[in-house]
Amino acid sequence: MSTPILDMPLPRQGEEKKPVPAERPGSRRAKRVDALTAAAFLTPGLLAFAAFVILPAVGGLVLTFFEWDLFGTPQWVGLDNITRLFGDEDMWQALWVTALFVLMGVVPTILIGFVLAVLINTKLPGIAAIRVFFFAPMIASAAVASLIWVNLYSQRGLINQALSWIGIDGPIWLSDLTWARPALVIMMIWGGLPIVIILYMAGLQRVSDDIYAAASLDGASKWRQIWSMTWPNVWGTTILIAVLQVVGFVSGSFEVALIMTDGGPLGSTQSIALYSYKVAFSERDIGYASALSLFQLVLMIVIVILVRMIVRFRKERS
Amino acid sequence: MRTSPLHAAMRYVAIVLAGFIMAAPLLFMVSGSLKSAAEVAAFPPKLLPETPIWQNFVDAWNFLTPQVIGNTFIFSLGIVGLQLLLSLPAAFALAKIPFKWSAAVLGTLIVPMFIPGNLTLIPLFIVTFQLGWLNTYAGLIIPMAAQCAFAILLFRQFFATMPAGLIEAARIDGASWGRVLTSIALPLAKPALATFCSISFLTAWNMYIWPQVIAPNPVNRVINVALAPLAGGENSVISPAVGLAGAVIAMLPVLIVFIVFQKWYLKGIAGTGLE
Repeated sequence: MSTPILDMPLPRQGEEKKPVPAERPGSRRAKRVDALTAAAFLTPGLLAFAAFVILPAVGGLVLTFFEWDLFGTPQWVGLDNITRLFGDEDMWQALWVTALFVLMGVVPTILIGFVLAVLINTKLPGIAAIRVFFFAPMIASAAVASLIWVNLYSQRGLINQALSWIGIDGPIWLSDLTWARPALVIMMIWGGLPIVIILYMAGLQRVSDDIYAAASLDGASKWRQIWSMTWPNVWGTTILIAVLQVVGFVSGSFEVALIMTDGGPLGSTQSIALYSYKVAFSERDIGYASALSLFQLVLMIVIVILVRMIVRFRKERS
Repeated sequence: MRTSPLHAAMRYVAIVLAGFIMAAPLLFMVSGSLKSAAEVAAFPPKLLPETPIWQNFVDAWNFLTPQVIGNTFIFSLGIVGLQLLLSLPAAFALAKIPFKWSAAVLGTLIVPMFIPGNLTLIPLFIVTFQLGWLNTYAGLIIPMAAQCAFAILLFRQFFATMPAGLIEAARIDGASWGRVLTSIALPLAKPALATFCSISFLTAWNMYIWPQVIAPNPVNRVINVALAPLAGGENSVISPAVGLAGAVIAMLPVLIVFIVFQKWYLKGIAGTGLE
C-alpha cells in the first residue's frame, strides 16, 4: 500500500538491506532479526492505535445503526437514526449555526492572519520579542479564553463600556439572540489567528525576494505588491489554512460554546458538534449522536472536496 | 530590499499596535487578576490596579486546590511520556529497520489523522467507559496518549534523515537495534524531541472536553475542568478577579514551556503546513 496523502520519503529498502549486523549480510537470519525487532518496536504503538483509534472509528460507524443508552443492550434499528436526521428541526438549526460559524469566521481569519503575517515577517531588530504577543492567544486553553471573554462581553464589561463611550448601548452579548453568535466568532477568530500567522510566515519564507525588487523598480505600491504578488505566491498555504479553519469552525467551535453559552440563547450557538455532544452525554442517545457525528464527517469531506475542486478550477483558468 | 528609516518606524508602530491588540485580552486577564471586583469592570479601564490584590491568587489557588493542579501535571506529563514510549520505537522501526510491511503500516497510521478528534469522542468515551476507567488517571491518559500517529510520523521523518552510514557501522559492530535507537538515534533526535514534547504538553494541558467527560469529579479533574464553570456563570461565589487569577495560574506552565521551547514549537506547528 502506498501513501498517497503525504508525499514523504518511504524507507529506502534497497539501500538499507546492507546494514546487517554480526550475522552475514543478507542472511535469512539477519532478515528475521530485522522483522522480529520491527514487530516488537511497533506492537505497543499499534495496539494502542487499534484499541483507541481504529476501534472507536469503526464503533462509531456501527453504533449509528443501533439504539443504545450506554447501559442496556443495544437494539438494532437499521437506518432509523439516519432518516431521523432529516426530520429533526434541532439538527437543521444546528447545521445552520455551523454554516454561519464557518461563513462568518473563516474568511476574516484568513485575511487578517495574512496581513499580520506580512506585517511581522521582517528582520527589524527586536521583532522576535514582539512576535510572542501575536502567538500568545494560541496557548490560552478554551477554558482560559472563555473566562477572559466572558468578562469582556459581560453587561458592564470592557467592550460595552467602550461602546457606551461612543454612544452605543451594547447588548448583553452572550445572552442576546442576535449577538451571541458573532461574539463567539470574534473570540474564535482571535484564538485561531496565531496558527494562521505561523503557517503564512512559513509560506512567506519560501517566496523569493527578487519579485519584490522587480516590482518596486516598477513603482508598484507596497499595498498593491502584497495583494498582486505575495498573496498569489502563498496560495498553496491559503488552501491548507482554509481547510484547517473550516474543520476548526465546524468541529472545534463547540468547546467555547459549551463553556460560555451552552448552545444558547435558544440554540443560537449550538453547532452540530455541540448538538451531538448533548445528545450523547445529556440524553444518552448514543445511536443518534453517532449518526450526527457521521453526518458531520460527511459534511467535512464534501467541503474539502469542494475546496479542491475550486482550486483545480482556478488553476485551469489561469 | 532597502527600506527608509521612516518606513521602518511606521512599520514598528503598526507591529506594536497590532501586537498590543492581539495580546490585549491576555493583558486584561493579568491586570484583572490583581484588581478588586469593582476595578475589573471600571471605565475608563485602568491599565494597572490601584493596589495589586495578591489575595486573589491565594483565593484562586484555594479554589483550584493543589490536587487539581497536580492532576493536570500528571495528566499532561503522562500523555507526553506515554506517547514517547509508544511512538519512538515505532517510528524508528518504520524509518530504519527494513521489513516488508512498513509502507502498509504507515498508510494505516495516516488515514485516521484526518478525522477530527471530536468526531470520535463518543465512541472513544464508550471504549474507556467499558474498560471501567471513568474517573481514573488511566482513563484520562491512555486513550489520549494512544492518539500518537502524529508523533510517529514526526519522529519517523526525523529518523529517516539520519545518515544510514552511522547506523550501519553500529550494526556491523554488533549493536542491537534497541541499542542503536537508545544510544545513537535518540541523542541525535533532540530537536525533534523538543518539538514533540512542547507541542504534546501544550495540547494536553489545554484539553478540556476529554477530561470533562472522563473525570469530572473533584479528585481526578484537571485545571480546565475546574475553571470552565466559572466562565459559564455557574459559580457566582467566585469573583471575576479570582477567576482571572485562576486563568493566570492555568496559563503559567504553558507560557513558560512556550517561551523556552518557542523555536522548536513553532517549527513543529509550521511543519504541518509543509506538505
